[in-house]
Amino acid sequence: MEKVLLKNVGKPDSHRIDTYLAGGGYEALKKALRMDTEDIIQMVKDSGLMGRGGAGFPTGLKWSFIPKDPTLQKYLCCNADEGEPGTFKDRSIIEHDPHLLLEGMAISCYAIGADTAYIYIRGEFAFGARRLEEAIAEAYQKGYLGKDILGSGFSLNIHVHRGFGAYICGEETALLESIEGCRGQPRKKPPFPALSGLYGKPTVINNVETLACVPTIISRGAEWFASIGPEKSPGPKIFGVSGHVNRPGLYELPMGTPLREIVYEHAGGIRNGRRLKAVIPGGVSAPLLTEEQIDISMDFDTLAHEGSMLGSGGVIVMDDTTCMVKAAYIINRFFSHESCGKCTPCREGTTWMTSILKRLEYGEGRPGDVELLEGLCGNIFGRTFCPLGDGAVMALRGALRNFRQEFVYHAENGRCMV
Amino acid sequence: MNEKKVKIVKRDTPGALDLAKKTVFLDFIKGLSITLRYNLSRSITIRYPDEEKWIPYPRFRGAHTLNRDEEGRELCVACELCVKACPTNCITVVPMEDDTGKGIADRVAKVWEVDLARCFFCGYCEDACPTTAVRLGRDYELACFELDKARKTKEELLKPQSVPEDFEGGIIVQAKLQRTKSGIKVKPNLWKKKEKK
Amino acid sequence: MGDRETGVVTLKVNGKEITVREGTLILDAAREAGCHIPTFCYQATLSGVGSCRMCLVEIEGQRKLQPSCVTPVMSGMEVKTESESVISARQAMLEFLLSNHALDCPVCDKGGECELQNMVYTYGPRKGRYAEVKIRHHEKDYVLSPVIVKNSNRCVQCMRCVRVCGEVVGRGVLGAIGRGAHQEETSFLRSYLDCDHDGMCIEVCPVGCFMRRPYRYRARPWDLRGSRTVCPYCATGCRMTIEERDGEVVRSIAREGEGFNDKMLCARGRFGYDILNSGGEERLTTPLIKKNGMFEPVSWEKALSIIREQFTKADPRRLGGIASAALTNEELYLFQRLVREVLGSGNIDSTSRWDAATTGAFIFATGITGGGVSIYDCMEAETVFVVGGQVSEENPVTDYIIRYVSDSSRKSVLVASTRAMKLDTSAELSLRHLPGRLGALFNGLVLTLYEDNQERLEGIKEIGVLKGRTVTDLAAECGVSEADLRALCARLESSGSISMVVGTDLLRFREGISGLRLLGDALRALGKVLKILPVLDRCNQRGAWDMGVHPLFGPDYRKVERAGLGCDGMLDQAMDGAMDALYVVGEDVVNMYPDRTFAEEALSRVGFLVVQDVSLTDTARMAHLVLPGAYPGEKEGTFTNQEGRVQHISRLLEPPGQARVDLEIIEAVGSSIVHGFSDGTPQTVFDEIRREVSMYRDAAFSGGSPDGWLVKKSARRLEGFELIEEKKVSLDADPEHPYFLVTGNHIFLSGSLSRRSGILNELVREAVVEISEEAAGELGVIDGQTVSVSGRGFDATYSVRIRKGTPREVVFIAENFEDKAANRFYKRGDVVPRVKITA
Repeated sequence: MEKVLLKNVGKPDSHRIDTYLAGGGYEALKKALRMDTEDIIQMVKDSGLMGRGGAGFPTGLKWSFIPKDPTLQKYLCCNADEGEPGTFKDRSIIEHDPHLLLEGMAISCYAIGADTAYIYIRGEFAFGARRLEEAIAEAYQKGYLGKDILGSGFSLNIHVHRGFGAYICGEETALLESIEGCRGQPRKKPPFPALSGLYGKPTVINNVETLACVPTIISRGAEWFASIGPEKSPGPKIFGVSGHVNRPGLYELPMGTPLREIVYEHAGGIRNGRRLKAVIPGGVSAPLLTEEQIDISMDFDTLAHEGSMLGSGGVIVMDDTTCMVKAAYIINRFFSHESCGKCTPCREGTTWMTSILKRLEYGEGRPGDVELLEGLCGNIFGRTFCPLGDGAVMALRGALRNFRQEFVYHAENGRCMV
Repeated sequence: MNEKKVKIVKRDTPGALDLAKKTVFLDFIKGLSITLRYNLSRSITIRYPDEEKWIPYPRFRGAHTLNRDEEGRELCVACELCVKACPTNCITVVPMEDDTGKGIADRVAKVWEVDLARCFFCGYCEDACPTTAVRLGRDYELACFELDKARKTKEELLKPQSVPEDFEGGIIVQAKLQRTKSGIKVKPNLWKKKEKK
Repeated sequence: MGDRETGVVTLKVNGKEITVREGTLILDAAREAGCHIPTFCYQATLSGVGSCRMCLVEIEGQRKLQPSCVTPVMSGMEVKTESESVISARQAMLEFLLSNHALDCPVCDKGGECELQNMVYTYGPRKGRYAEVKIRHHEKDYVLSPVIVKNSNRCVQCMRCVRVCGEVVGRGVLGAIGRGAHQEETSFLRSYLDCDHDGMCIEVCPVGCFMRRPYRYRARPWDLRGSRTVCPYCATGCRMTIEERDGEVVRSIAREGEGFNDKMLCARGRFGYDILNSGGEERLTTPLIKKNGMFEPVSWEKALSIIREQFTKADPRRLGGIASAALTNEELYLFQRLVREVLGSGNIDSTSRWDAATTGAFIFATGITGGGVSIYDCMEAETVFVVGGQVSEENPVTDYIIRYVSDSSRKSVLVASTRAMKLDTSAELSLRHLPGRLGALFNGLVLTLYEDNQERLEGIKEIGVLKGRTVTDLAAECGVSEADLRALCARLESSGSISMVVGTDLLRFREGISGLRLLGDALRALGKVLKILPVLDRCNQRGAWDMGVHPLFGPDYRKVERAGLGCDGMLDQAMDGAMDALYVVGEDVVNMYPDRTFAEEALSRVGFLVVQDVSLTDTARMAHLVLPGAYPGEKEGTFTNQEGRVQHISRLLEPPGQARVDLEIIEAVGSSIVHGFSDGTPQTVFDEIRREVSMYRDAAFSGGSPDGWLVKKSARRLEGFELIEEKKVSLDADPEHPYFLVTGNHIFLSGSLSRRSGILNELVREAVVEISEEAAGELGVIDGQTVSVSGRGFDATYSVRIRKGTPREVVFIAENFEDKAANRFYKRGDVVPRVKITA
């Protein structure tokens, strides 16, 4: 397949605007600025682009919720707080092709009528933030950002806002709170950010990969984009494969590529020729899939139907040397550490689950621990303020459902069966 | 149903044997021998309060005591739950702050008083106590000459009990009667056990 | 949608149909329907966060349970609050909350009245499954302020403390440190707080996380015997309950639903209760008579017979009475009857600070005779204009109500004051004017209105006075930029309804009242709905006026046949040696009269001075006879607050020793002169008030609504105060003394009563002078440094407190410090004294 999102990655000086312009960059922006904003939104709608951050909400629909009143201040926020373990797709775009993101943002801002945009970048991406700052400076210099872009009368300022290492700030409302200088905790919805977001103004929040798709849709047309992959969730998608595979890395493939193909063809199969035990298909919040399930097509609907989710497309592969209790413990420890503390079930529940899993892993499990874990999952699920708690539960439930005997073995024998 | 059967004993006329018995005071000697036997046998009464004392079992509910932990800190945190639980309102607790390590928490009792004249030793205070600070001990000599003396203050209650809590009890030990101004006390010597059959 | 048009929504709660206003939260709707939903983080006066998840309810057709405290109702909704999933969710939340809760209930001060305890008893799982090590934030409780102790291990993370501190109190000194289960609500890095010390965080805390330091380990809630009373420290009149154990008052507490102030109290109300315990030497317990310059105890019979002898032999014109505005309505009413009917004198006053004619004009201008105005009604207006006083410090709870209502309903608040204040942060516009220049400010506003609406305002003839003036020069006169003045005016002009919250600066500086009236007339002429709320500083000042403790009018603002003398006049007359007897009840004239030297001299010339008070004040020391009175917690009666809200106070303790309730003393004095003066029970005197004072006709003495009862419009019109002459306050340059001194109440103190509270004195250790940032820069002083302040005749040293936003030339000294009394800087007739500050 022709690379769209990673086409410049690997070129020398790929982050420079000259390289980007040489590859036909900013042409889509020029085209978009001549178009009607309604037409752009319609085009994105027609393309079937779904948010690549994890939830898979149709992007065009999201943009269309923004009030059309031109006097109203609006914002675009780019969510570059890529914190999900197993996900590293946005980083490569930011570091190696920042102008693709900037062009996408410029088009999106033009479409929704925002004159200020923020890139909320994960604090740990110091290099990426620097690259973005440089790229923004270049774009200002060349007139692709700033006042009266390319003589169209449209102005845009983009600010890079560095986070401070909180996973929860990848949740859109917590991200807004963080940009405003408040504690990074999610806000209650409704009101949704499209009506009252950053500083109480209508705001669109999109993932890096989503925004990076926009220039292609404009330049190639919605039909071309929609023709890639399955009908319901089309487009190119970057899959980040990590874990026990021979060639971990980023693979840009059409949506709906079978998981088996990703693992065995693109990523080169399981290391040392071992057997596959489980695959997490979309970052650690996604429930894992067992070997029997990996013929699944990697798109939003199919995975959701199978009880898992595509999430951010971070595929984590585990071979048969993996202890599922340890894996569950590590994942859960991450969630309890990153729980923001706002709502009771997530704050207390994830901490509690982690201490039980830790006990199990270290051979101090007690009989009944597995039932207790299941009970706690039920007590947390669906009762938390934001999806973080649900994510933690889904991950653990996936492991418990498929590898219950390992947990029981740990609890009863105090050691691992692998 | 039971018919009362009156057994009529026909008394014989006194015979020679009888007479002989009477002359040597046989019955009298018989009677005296029982006395003599009991005189020599182990006594079954307790010589309380002069010499001996019964030490009750640990489940006994006598006068209150306030306990300390192994480090000597007061266990009572003056939560006033015993006051709330008491059916006769005989306990008074006033808390205060003391963070010098006197108690197990920085809340200790400024006042802890129990009016033993009103207490009926139900033991609810024990049950209510969250720190096992208050226990009904094994002191049962509570009579006093003045009613005021029946009010026990925290200082008195904190003194070590005459019978330690882990002492088994259910035995009689040697004791000494002591007359004090406040009343009569029988001081036991727990290690001088008096075996009784 | 028929519902949308009418603004009401019909929904079903547990199968019961209920109709509520649109936008109501499910929680409130359910409570209205009689279904209780438990919550931790919800508090009606605070913004909703929906974080504790206790209030989850099931809504028909929705997959997930929804937090009812942030979800508004929708038409046709079917809510279930007791379904199986809801009950299990509640149990789950409680189990989670208990998992890292310290569970040290036996030690915790909240034990017995803890929301977490109650909820676990009602809904909780009966068995805990948590068997891990608990997270502990710290080992020992730590002190956050002289009155607040903190234990974070008990926290349920409801954030009520953080929200109340920011949204109601307006300080925002609390926040959270840490994340997730390690999150801890506290001050910045647990540092010692420099805040309003009002303990709102304590009151809203559902568990024992924030605790009162003075109440620490003193009692259990079931040990306490309480009585409902009203805070005596300012005229906001907050409802509170004082509670005692073994004859000692250990706390005062405001509970939700027990008064218009709900849980709100300021530092004075919440911690100033210990005056009731200040027995010992301070407290007067027996009548005292002065013999050879020394006080000796005397029996009540003897004392009363001396009073009778002295009062009856004196000429009524050379007699007078001053009663404090901190007495109850019944006492004040009986006092004015005593002075007017029994002693036959018209010389009576309820303040020693303010001029009688000025107060009359103030009453007229603020429309006090027009009946009570609730502060919440005032807050309904589009714009709230706070002027003429330091509301944030003098009446903190009034400030809280203004803040939280205006912030949550996006009202615009305008502030005009001489000093910076906390309310500035909630204000759309706040401007600083020179002391004693409110008249110019009001006139400037009227003139601006007049420029825009000439024909509509032509009817107001007083505007003629302003002909020839310009907005520019009026703005310059009051020290405000013309643009600000015009912006303020534009905001007033664009609002359909306006509430003015008017402070006591008008009385203190004796000016601006006709300006206020003119502005009121102008706004009304422009068709604005105008409400005026006077903000007063003595707890029963409004009641004192209603009862006619004033030389120029009687009860119910009835015109008196012959005007008597006010405090000013009486002291004048005393100075001439023409005052035979003076009866002072509860007022510390020496400390409050603006010119202490004069007051002392005048009182020393009074033939026979009787002072009735709770302790030996500076005024009482000058008396010939001292009578021991009682504190509010020791008597029963009613107070009328600044809004005109009549609230009953009940008795908790008996006055100590031979001290008696003031009502009984006044009755005894009266009866000793005239037989059958009154039977002196609060209830019968109140019945008499209801007959005599038309505003109180329908009032209930006790019982009734917990919010009290607002007085009605008076049947009479206050006459004689339509036009008063105001002297222009002189603010000429004086290079020797470059600063203008303004006085008022300290945020932690009120009058001289609060000086006897040990806890409040702990908060204000030393006398403070408040100066502006600029002045501090000029003088080269920093916060806490000692400076000497010298006026024209008095100098003293004070500790500096720098206040950002106060104009350079204004300095403030609270009038509550007896040893360094601010009134010593005053010379009679001098409204704005000048001072010099040296480092």
